[in-house]
Amino acid sequence: MQKYPKIVEKNGRRYFFRFSLHQRLQHIVLFTCVITLSLTGFPLKYFDQPWAAPIYKFFGGIHVAPTIHRTFGTILLCLFVYHTIYWVYLFYSRRILRLKKEGCLTFGNAVKEFLSQEMIPCKKDFYDLIDMFKYLLYITNRPPRYDRISWKEKFDYYAPYWGIPILGPAGFILWWRDEFSHILPGFAFNILYVMHTDEALLAALFLFFVHWYNVHYSPEKFPLGTVFITGYLTEADMIHEHYAEYERTMREEGLEDQIKPQHH
Amino acid sequence: MGKSFFKTRVILFLTALLLCSMAGLSNAEDELNCVLCHKHRGLSRIDENGNLRLFYINEHMFEEGPHFRVKCIDCHQDIAKIPHDPAKKVDCTTECHLTEPSGQKNFSHKSVAEQLNKSVHGKFDTEGKEKKNVQDFPGCKDCHEEPLYRPLSFFKGKAGGISQRGISRCKTCHRTGKFAESFYKHVTSRLQKTRQPVEMVQVCDRCHSDKDLQQRHNLDDVVNTYKETFHYKAIKFGSDETPDCLDCHVVKGESVHFIEGRNSPTAANNNKNVATTCRTSECHDKASENLAGYRVHVTYDKDKYPFLHYMMMFFTGLMAAVMYFFLVLIILELLRRLFPNFSFTKSPDDGHH
Repeated sequence: MQKYPKIVEKNGRRYFFRFSLHQRLQHIVLFTCVITLSLTGFPLKYFDQPWAAPIYKFFGGIHVAPTIHRTFGTILLCLFVYHTIYWVYLFYSRRILRLKKEGCLTFGNAVKEFLSQEMIPCKKDFYDLIDMFKYLLYITNRPPRYDRISWKEKFDYYAPYWGIPILGPAGFILWWRDEFSHILPGFAFNILYVMHTDEALLAALFLFFVHWYNVHYSPEKFPLGTVFITGYLTEADMIHEHYAEYERTMREEGLEDQIKPQHH
Repeated sequence: MGKSFFKTRVILFLTALLLCSMAGLSNAEDELNCVLCHKHRGLSRIDENGNLRLFYINEHMFEEGPHFRVKCIDCHQDIAKIPHDPAKKVDCTTECHLTEPSGQKNFSHKSVAEQLNKSVHGKFDTEGKEKKNVQDFPGCKDCHEEPLYRPLSFFKGKAGGISQRGISRCKTCHRTGKFAESFYKHVTSRLQKTRQPVEMVQVCDRCHSDKDLQQRHNLDDVVNTYKETFHYKAIKFGSDETPDCLDCHVVKGESVHFIEGRNSPTAANNNKNVATTCRTSECHDKASENLAGYRVHVTYDKDKYPFLHYMMMFFTGLMAAVMYFFLVLIILELLRRLFPNFSFTKSPDDGHH
C-alpha cells in the first residue's frame, strides 16, 4: 500500500494527494521562521511607524527581539541547507540510481533527468502562462490546465529559494560583523544591509500578498486553504488549479469515467 | 465692627499666606524671593516676536537641578529692581558666587565655552575671525536646557534626585550643611549620560536637519542618514548601548564640547581615526580596521555612492516588476470571475467534456 494514496475518499468527497508530512513539516518551519523574522525585522526597518514599537515590544524589545530574529534566521538557513540536501538526495535516489541500474548514466541523461523534475520550470509553464492571459483577457473560454506544479507555484517556491541565500548570509555576516570585518571591507556591510532589508521587503510583500492570495485569500480558498495542513486538495480545487494532473490521476486510478469537466 | 473684623482677618490670612510661601522658598538660593512671582504657573507673556514666553519656576525642579546652589541674580545680573524689566539673555560664562573646590576660584562655564569655540561648532575661525553665517553656530543654550525650562518634563516622572541609601555613606562624615547632597549630585550626575541617547540625537537634529542650514554650510543630511542605521534604531527602541552622535564624534577622554570637523587630524571621525573610534572597548573591539570603511552617513546618491545607488535601483525595480505583475494578475483573475462564460472566441476544446 502506498504511504500516501493519490486519492482519498471521505464522506463521499475525493481528496487528492499533494504534500507528504515531511514536506508539510518543512513548510511549517519555513513559514514560522518567515513570519517571526518579519515581525522582528520590519519594526526595525520602519522604526518610525506607529506599529513598529508595539510589535517590537511584544517580542521583548531591543534586548530580546534581535536574539529571536537571529535564532529564527539561523533555523531558516539550516532549513535551506536541509531542503537542498533533501532535494539532491531525492534526485540521486530516484533518478541517478535508476539511470545507473539501467546502465545509461551519462552527463546528458543526468541533465535531462534534472530538467524533467516537477519543480524545474519547463516549456509547458510558458504555454500555460500564455493560456492564462488568453483566458483572463476573455480571448478564450479555456482556462490553462496546470500539471502537478503550476508556474505560479514554482514562482512561490523559488521566491524563498532565491531570497534565503541573499537574505540569510547577509544577515549572518551583519550579525558577526566584527569577525567578518577581518576578511571583508567596511563598505561591504553597507551593501549587505541593503541586500538584507530590500530583499526582505520583496520577499514579505510577495509572500503576504501574492502567495497568501493564491492559497488563502482567493474566493475559492478564503479564509484559509487547508492543503498545507492536510496535504490533500479537494476535487474542486484540483480541477480548478491542476486539471492536467487531475485528469491523469483519475485515469491512473481507474476513474476515467468519473472525470469532471473543467469549470471556469 | 463685623466688617472691620472681617478685613483684619483677611489681611492676617494674606500675611500668613505670604509668610508661608516665603518660608517654603527659604531653601532655594533665592535671596530676592524671585519665586514669589515666578512660582505662578501661568506667569508668561507674548514677546516682541509673537512667541509665548513662560516664566514659571518649579521650585522642586530648581532644587533638584544642576544650578540649585546658584542665586538667581548670579546669572540674571542685569536685574537690579523688582518688579524688573525684561531680563537679558543669560551669559553662561559669567562668574557666579560658587567657589570651585579644586581651585578656590569663582566658578564659571568659561572653560567649556573655550572648548566649544575651538571645536567645529565654534563661532570663530582659527584666526579669530567670525565665521560665515555665524548665527547658525550653537551657543550653550542651543544644546543645553535647564530642566526648568522644559515644562513637559514634569510629566515624564523622571527628575534628578538623590539615592538616600547612596548618600547615607557620605553623610557618615559630612553631616552638616548641604555639602553631601550637592557634591553627591555633582559627581553622580556626571557618571551617567545626562541625556538619553535618543534625546542627544534630537539635540543635534535641531540644527543638522535644517535644510537651509545644510545648504549654507555644505553639510550632508547626517542625522537622517544616521537614523537609517542599526545604531539609531536600537536607541529608538530603548537601547543605551549603541552609539549616539557624541560617541562617534568626540575623541575618547575629550570634552563633549570639543567636536572637531572631520578634516582635523585629531577628529574622532577623521579617516585615519575612524577605526580607533569604532574599535573602542565598549563597541567593536574585535573588529579589524576594515570596519572603518563602513559608511554610517550613507545616501543612495548616484555620484557619491554609485554602487549602492544601482543596487537600490535593482531591488526597487525587481520589487516593482514582481509586485505590479502579480497585482495586475490578481485583478485580472477577479475581473474574469465577473463574466465566467463570456469570451471573444470559443475553444473547440472548451474545457467541458
